Amino acid sequence: MAKDKDKKKEGKEKKVKSCLPSESMKVIAESVGIDRMSDEGLTTIAEDVTYRLKEMTQEAVKFMTHGKRKRLSTADFDHALKLRNIEPLYGFQTSEHIPFRFASGGGRELHFYEEKELDLNDIINTALPKMPVDVSVKAHWLSIEGVQPSIPENPPPVDRDQQKTESASSQTLSKPSSKDVLPPALVGLPGPSGGTDNNTKSKSKTNVLAETTSQVKVKSLVTHELSVEQQLYYKEITEACVGACESRRSEALQSLSSDPGLYQMMPRFSTFIAEGVKVNVVQNNLALLIYLMRMVKALMDNTTIYLEKYLHELIPAVTTCIISKQLCLRPDVDNHWALRDFAARLMASMCKKFSTTINNMQGRMSKLFDKSLQNEKAPLACHYGAVAGLSELGPEVMKSLVLPRIKFLGDRIKMATEGPVLSNVDKIAAEHLKSLILKHCGTYLKLTRKPPDEIEAYKQEFGYLGALLCANVMKLRTQPTTTATNVAQMQRPTLTLSQTASQPTTVVKLVSTSSSSSTQKVLTSSSGGKYVVMTLPSSGTPTQTATATVTASSQPSTPVQKSPITSGATSMLMSLAQAASAQSPVTTSSPAAIGGSTLPEANTELKMPKLAPISKPSPATSQQTTATSANTTTVQQSTAATRTTTQPTSPVFKTTTPQTVTVTVKKDNPTAAKQEPSSP
Amino acid sequence: MADNTEGQQQTPGGGVVKMEVTAPTAHKTPETDEKSMDKQTLMAVLQFLKKNNLKGTETLLRQEANISATEDVEPSNTEQDVSSVLSAYSSEGDPSKYEEYYNNVISFVESALDRYKSELAQILYPVFVHMYLELVYNGHETEAQSFFDKFHGIQEEYHQEDLVKLSTVTKKEHMKSNELMINFRSSKFTIKMSRDSYQLLKRHLQDKQQSILLDILQEHLYIDVFDGLPRSKQQIDATAGAMTGAARREANKTKVFYGLLKEPDINLPIEEDDDVGEGDDKPKKKKVKKDSQMGKKNKPDPNAPPQNRIPLPELRDIDKMEKALALRETMKRVKVGSDNMPSICFYTFLNTNHGVSSVEVSEDSSLMAVGFADSQVRVWPLTPKKLRCVKEADELMAIDKDADDVLERIMDDRSATDSRTLLGHSGPVNATSFSPDRSMLLSCSEDGTVRLWSLQMYVNLVCYKGHNYPVWDAQFAPYGYYFVSAGHDKTARLWATENHQPLRIFSGHLSDVDCVRFHPNSNYIATGSSDRTCRLWDVHTGNCVRVLTGHKGPIHSIAFSPDGKHIATAGIDKTILLWDIGHGTLIGRLKGHTDTVYSLSFSKDGTVLASGGIDNTVKLWDVNKAFGEVDTDEITNSTHITLSENTNYLLDSYPTKSTPVLHVHFTRKNLLLAAGAYSA
Repeated sequence: MAKDKDKKKEGKEKKVKSCLPSESMKVIAESVGIDRMSDEGLTTIAEDVTYRLKEMTQEAVKFMTHGKRKRLSTADFDHALKLRNIEPLYGFQTSEHIPFRFASGGGRELHFYEEKELDLNDIINTALPKMPVDVSVKAHWLSIEGVQPSIPENPPPVDRDQQKTESASSQTLSKPSSKDVLPPALVGLPGPSGGTDNNTKSKSKTNVLAETTSQVKVKSLVTHELSVEQQLYYKEITEACVGACESRRSEALQSLSSDPGLYQMMPRFSTFIAEGVKVNVVQNNLALLIYLMRMVKALMDNTTIYLEKYLHELIPAVTTCIISKQLCLRPDVDNHWALRDFAARLMASMCKKFSTTINNMQGRMSKLFDKSLQNEKAPLACHYGAVAGLSELGPEVMKSLVLPRIKFLGDRIKMATEGPVLSNVDKIAAEHLKSLILKHCGTYLKLTRKPPDEIEAYKQEFGYLGALLCANVMKLRTQPTTTATNVAQMQRPTLTLSQTASQPTTVVKLVSTSSSSSTQKVLTSSSGGKYVVMTLPSSGTPTQTATATVTASSQPSTPVQKSPITSGATSMLMSLAQAASAQSPVTTSSPAAIGGSTLPEANTELKMPKLAPISKPSPATSQQTTATSANTTTVQQSTAATRTTTQPTSPVFKTTTPQTVTVTVKKDNPTAAKQEPSSP
Repeated sequence: MADNTEGQQQTPGGGVVKMEVTAPTAHKTPETDEKSMDKQTLMAVLQFLKKNNLKGTETLLRQEANISATEDVEPSNTEQDVSSVLSAYSSEGDPSKYEEYYNNVISFVESALDRYKSELAQILYPVFVHMYLELVYNGHETEAQSFFDKFHGIQEEYHQEDLVKLSTVTKKEHMKSNELMINFRSSKFTIKMSRDSYQLLKRHLQDKQQSILLDILQEHLYIDVFDGLPRSKQQIDATAGAMTGAARREANKTKVFYGLLKEPDINLPIEEDDDVGEGDDKPKKKKVKKDSQMGKKNKPDPNAPPQNRIPLPELRDIDKMEKALALRETMKRVKVGSDNMPSICFYTFLNTNHGVSSVEVSEDSSLMAVGFADSQVRVWPLTPKKLRCVKEADELMAIDKDADDVLERIMDDRSATDSRTLLGHSGPVNATSFSPDRSMLLSCSEDGTVRLWSLQMYVNLVCYKGHNYPVWDAQFAPYGYYFVSAGHDKTARLWATENHQPLRIFSGHLSDVDCVRFHPNSNYIATGSSDRTCRLWDVHTGNCVRVLTGHKGPIHSIAFSPDGKHIATAGIDKTILLWDIGHGTLIGRLKGHTDTVYSLSFSKDGTVLASGGIDNTVKLWDVNKAFGEVDTDEITNSTHITLSENTNYLLDSYPTKSTPVLHVHFTRKNLLLAAGAYSA
């Protein structure tokens, strides 16, 4: 009986009017040995039990609210019973959810608990469970003078939805609505990166708002600065991503794909990738292009970033890696095909994720690929990329855009392989294109065409490749599973293939100077942005620290044990910052004294986290400020660089064709030439 | 005035005699307000006489009426005993007519002028409830069901919670023990109405001759008529929501000494606790400041209670030291406000397994006490100082009692630990409170006891038994010695630590008293209850001096402003309400939380209010602005406060990762401490 009562509680009133069925009462009565109950009696009992249960539940809710919980527990119900002088149901306190079982038969439906019979001997003989960890207290700064530090203990500064509304509101700021009031978490942040989007626009917004309502908090106009830690993080990540050490890279990519606090640095990362692709396409540096694509992949995997804002930079970069004429120095040897495949898959997943009816991304992408496919003069590599890109976009695209061109492609392949002028490059390209078409079209045709495969029909339709396709399809029909494994085998190893191919040459934008970089040059491109091109010694000294950083951040900071705040990327970087600032000129930009701040308390009396990972100087950082204040010139430089990174606002992505890239970057040729020897 | 109004409604016979309000042709409705009261009373009496065929008296009275009539008709407004009230429901009417009657009421309200509509609409809810209860009482279950189904949707949103509870009552037997029922039965639902609206209602009743409606209005409603303009919907809603309607006006008429007590002169030399380093200029500064503060204090506060109104404990030397220290820290206080946001240090409890039910930080922010659902109380130091016990008795004998550092010497260094566990309760610990000198800790629990613990020996000193039901909250008085507890038994109790029985029992709430707080001058306590009212009680007399209605859910936290003039209350309805104690009026409503608010704290200068709740955020509110907008001197008619809906008092909101905020606390220097248990 007691059990049943508890059971009823669980299925408590969802609707106000719900009432226990009298059948339940009958079952319960039978279970205690009362067979004959009148229907009237059952109904009365059911109604009364319902009332009592509801009343008890209402009482139990009081215990829940005083326990400051959101979920009613069995203990609450026990307490409520105790309150009414009813013997509580001992032994029903469980932390786990015990599900109902359902059984029906003979026209009756039953809900019941599964009660297993346990052998006490088993229980006695099993080893004692581990002692639970003791309760502990851990302190962190939730806010420092109104600014929430981006440390792992705090939630990511701006979640995706907020980023979205932000980016949306920056486009439609026609009138000061309540939308323009910043999300509270942002107020006071030194210009969240959305702020860099359009300084001019937000300026006008400021004016409008200032006139209408004085209470509304307005996004401050400060140029967006990254804190020291963020700068360091950015530097370490970008270096690791394009550096030589594979283990560091995977850690960095792991961090990029999981760290919740990257929002602030996103404009930099996207620019880094875009510019990196531009430069390296010209230099034909295949390895770096692969690394950059892996970065894009990692960022795509990160669920906390509102990536839609950066597509205008990322998409051209990825597209370039798919259909560029030349991606590597020696197209006959290097496996740039893998890059094209990888980028094509990336593009497909981007389309899947971000394509909407408004931006019509998929349509535009297929048009772009199709254009390249239609271009009869384009090299086979371009066609390869186009076919790869289109085939990844799905069977519909494949049907309408790829299949009609197979005949033409077949002719080209035939020309390349059997034609009189035999260029090795073309031959290899043709081979790859052939196998690609066979792979993708084969699987597609297998699914769409009816079984009797006739070579003639295929030849009729697809020309040169018809016979091969037919054979392929027939082969596929016999062994349906092999394709998947084939695909996997084809792609995975190729990505790591060119690791040793080149020295790590990096183009790092707007990172301030590092003490360990051996050579550096500041270039000014046509757009006015500053690039610090630096070659890192292959055995970089900061490797160890950076590794630590990345590992720490890769576990997204679930507080499980009492420890000083040293876990997590940013805090680790803090210690890095302190260590580095002794020698490096990276420092806070405004070494103002903080008179009357509440913070000194932290140092003197209260046992509190000593961290203040914000760009504002705090007691913890002020020491280093004094230590490094001599080097203010470099800071100026870095902030200047920061300022020049203005982020184009329009979400419309312009597709940068490889040709235009060449034009822009040709001006930087001196450096390009200088780095030429670095590749073997 | 109010009494007279009631007298009109209630014939001298109490609930037994049914009054027939016939339309009196001989009497025209009085025009002026002052006269009307008397005339109404007379009318009532005349009607009564007429009905009972006491013609002689009637004519006599009519003759005399113009001279003196009020003395004759002093109404006997005695408390009716519960049984008679219950029996009042037995009025046998046609159950099927109830819907029609209620429809009539609705159409009457709907057809009224907009000006009066919202005021008249107030009767809908109580009439609905009582009609429903009448139906249930008389055994018309199905009619009651359909009546409820039909009309519960049109009731105000904030009544829905009670309606859900009401709907569980479907049988006469249920009515006996249901809390809500008893409240509706034994106390009258108070409605505030302007005279014009009241006249309108009266006329309607006279026209329609609906005995059921009349009975309900007479038996169960108290209409508090005021002179002036009818209130708007917003104004009504602001103070509506309590279990039994709005507060009566006379309930808030008593004068409240809300001023602070004069601080005793502290003649201790402050130099003795000198800091190292800045010994030179410090005393000078201090003197100046202290003088200014003294000057301020010496002005007799007209609102302060006499110093000896409540016997307060003598100041000991140690208390004076403490005060001096507090004063010194106060001088270091940081001004907080919209342009100077306080820093927040957050303490997260890990591995608690949802077991933390209360958190408390001592006034000087050096200790933190946590109550757990598994009955333990834990004390953590927030300073690097460890927790030490007093030495054993025989060791204490050996100590030189005249030594200056005797207090230091009695402590046993070997016993120093990072946290202490206090065991003794046998149920969830719902609240803890430190004594002002931090030598004792108070805890209250579900087991119905309040326990006093020594923080020098870490043992239980006293167990106060008085509440036989769960104790929800307890707090030490600001000057020590007294403490107050509140619990499920609908009372709050005042205790002295040395007495095992309560000194005062504050009874009047209609449901659980969920939280209780002392006024800074120790002369008053404020209680918040599940009946959705907040009451202010005079510790001296034990009377209720303020009833504050406006919350739409149980109140779970109360905070007094440091100047003692205002109260902030918050609870399950997610809103924070600000009240002016002097006038007993609502002066601000802070909306923004998305779940129950469990903790409130004013900054030490009273300009910022911090709130924390289980929506995992700490929010800061600009209460200075809120207080500033309402000129409390102009409040004359309490019913006419309009709260501006649009102004946003929210300064900022700081989300935690996944930690409900159970406690917020401003240190003396205005650093905000917040605490909560991590819930994955």
